[in-house]
Amino acid sequence: MLSVQTKYFGILSCREEEVFEFLGGMPAFEDEKHFVLIELPENAPLVFLQSLTHPTLCFLAFPILVADRAYQLAVSVEDLTALNLDRGRQPELGREVLVLALVSLHDRFSATANLMAPVVLNLKTHRGLQAIRQDRVYSHQHLIASRGPVAGGPEVSC
Amino acid sequence: MLRRRPGESLLIGDDVEVEILAITAQGAKIGIRAPRETVVLRKELKITQQQNEEAAHGLTGADFQQAPEKLRGNSKIDPSLR
Repeated sequence: MLSVQTKYFGILSCREEEVFEFLGGMPAFEDEKHFVLIELPENAPLVFLQSLTHPTLCFLAFPILVADRAYQLAVSVEDLTALNLDRGRQPELGREVLVLALVSLHDRFSATANLMAPVVLNLKTHRGLQAIRQDRVYSHQHLIASRGPVAGGPEVSC
Repeated sequence: MLRRRPGESLLIGDDVEVEILAITAQGAKIGIRAPRETVVLRKELKITQQQNEEAAHGLTGADFQQAPEKLRGNSKIDPSLR
C-alpha cells in the first residue's frame, strides 16, 4: 500500500496499481507524472485528482457526463496511442476509460469545467493524459455552477 | 487577413517565417521558422495551461467544506452519471 499525502483529506492509502501514470504530465504541470483518483461518496459527483509528488496539487473534477450529459469524445489518434487504446475508434466511457472535466472555481462561487481538454484515464492500463480537442465544439470554461441562491435558479456571476 | 497558397510564406517581424506547406481536407500543414527563443504553441495548449493553473488553485479551508455541497446542489448537475 502507498501512503498518499493529500491536499484535502490528510493521509490516504491506496494500492500501487490504482496510481495513474501521466507520461507527459499535464500542460503547465509537465513534471507531475503520477496521480490518484479520490472518489468519496459524500462528495459525489465531484472527484479529486491528487498528485503523488506534490500534496498541494489536487484538481477538482467531474465525470464528463456530469458536466455535459451529451458529451461526445474526440480523442486524437496520437492521444489514443499514448493511452494504449484502439486507434480506430473512440473508447467506451465508464468501461474502458474514465473521462474527467477539470473544474475551476471563480470568486466563491461560480465554477466552470474544461470540456475542451478532458482528462482521459485508461481504466485497464492506468495510463492518463489530458486530451486537448482539435475542434472547437466545447468550451474550456463551461459554466457548471454559479453564485446566488440555488432555489432561485442558476445566476451567472462571471 | 491575407490569402496564401501552398509553397508561399509570410514573414512576421524580422525573424519569423510562416510557410503554408500543404492544404488537405483535414487541415493546413504549416512550417514555422523562428529563433530558438521564440515559443511556438498551439493556441489550445496555451489555453489548457492557463486553465490548469487556474484549476490547480482549488479550494482552501472553509470553502472546501461548502464546495461539494454547492456543486451538488446545482440543478444542472446530475449525480447519477459517471
